[in-house]
Parts: sequence; structure tokens; C-alpha cells
Amino acid sequence: MNEKNQERDVYVAIADPTRRKILRLLAEADEIPLHEITPQFQMGRTAVSKHLAILKEAGLVADRKVGRETRYRLNAAPLEEIKDWVSFYEGFWKERFVKLNSILEEKK
Amino acid sequence: MKSDVSLEYKFTNSIENVWNALTDSETLAKWIMENDFKPIVGHKFQFRTEPNEWWNGIVDCEVLVVEEPYRLSYIWASAGETTTVTWTLKEVSEGTVQLNLDQTGFSEETKARVGAIEGATHAWTNMGNQLGKVLSEL
Repeated sequence: MNEKNQERDVYVAIADPTRRKILRLLAEADEIPLHEITPQFQMGRTAVSKHLAILKEAGLVADRKVGRETRYRLNAAPLEEIKDWVSFYEGFWKERFVKLNSILEEKK
Repeated sequence: MKSDVSLEYKFTNSIENVWNALTDSETLAKWIMENDFKPIVGHKFQFRTEPNEWWNGIVDCEVLVVEEPYRLSYIWASAGETTTVTWTLKEVSEGTVQLNLDQTGFSEETKARVGAIEGATHAWTNMGNQLGKVLSEL
């Protein structure tokens, strides 16, 4: 997988704390213009825009132009793919088993 | 009850070593999470990891079954979902142990991939639980 595709991955999109905070802000409002999002972060407008672009690529955020400003809103649908508990725990335990295996190998 | 999560692994190791990895608190911390587990039926304990915005990082547990070295079971409750985790060990041949993990009791509500957006809350809660996995994959 190349870097571009990874950025579109919803898991990668939500792995960053700044992007999670953006999602949370958007979840609390219908639609927010960029200039209202930026002051919430200790980073510049460009950096926030980059995070929004990654969220947009993952399909988690939609935007539209209203006059001179761009307004962003949450699109929670892609979260569906990671909201199933059973599939979550399957992944969780499989990963744990790998660790268990290496611990047991050391004990041989 | 049919298992919702059912996994099977084989280890070339002694059944005692595998049992120890499942029941020794320090070892558990290395491959599951920090905990105050004790192999005593009725013992209430927690697995704990770093909290995040959507998940307090706590799994509340209670030991249900301790049958050394063949079976271990405990309640696994986290983020409003209460399940049972059962470990079954079997020596299939000299030095080879089969380990089965069964996790049961997921509610139909969370098993079903219902609708798209039933309010962000549901998705957030579940997403929080994904994050540990997600982050460790990065």
C-alpha cells in the first residue's frame, strides 16, 4: 500500500489525536467553518487544513463552500467499518497471541 | 452458547508454561494489559491501558473458572459490553499445546452492523475500543 492509500484509511485517519479532536468538534456541531476550528488548536491554519484533508480523504469529513469560507461537517458512515465488536476483538486477540507466542518462545 | 469470537492456536511449549502465561499477572501485562489478576474464582480485577477520548481504558473482570492447567474463564466487561472470555488448554502431543479462546455474550445490538449513523455516540464508543488496536498497528 502506498502512502496515499494509507492516508485514506479510516484507521489511520483516526489514529492522530488532532484529527480525533477535530472529529469530536464536528460531532458536536452541524457544520463548522475552518476559522472556527483553527483557534482550538495550537497550530496554524495550514496544519489544521492538512488534517482536514486527510479526514476528507478517509470520507470522515465533508466540506462545502459558502461564500468565501469552507464549512466542514462530520460524515460518520465510514466508522461503520470499525464499529463491530466481534471483528474488533478478533483482531485484538490475534495481535495478543503474537505477543504471547514470543513470550513463550523466550521461556523455552 | 455459540462463541462470538473463537480462536485456536498451537504452541510448542509445555502446558504449564502456557498456563503460567495466562495466569501470571506480570506475564499477562506483557501481552494483554496491566492488571491485578489472581487465579482465584470470584476475584475481581481490571485490565487497564492508556485511556483516550472515547474509552476509559478499563476492562472490569471477574474470575469464573480456574481449572489448572486446562481451563480459565473470566467476565470481560468494557465500555458497556459484558462478555465472557474462556481459555481452554489441551496437550495435543508431547510439547504441543492447543490453546482455544472463546469470547461469548456480545449483545445482538453491537453484533449487528446496523444503520449508518444512529447518533455519533454509538460509533464513538465503539471506535474508542478500536483505537488501541489501531494505534499499535501504526
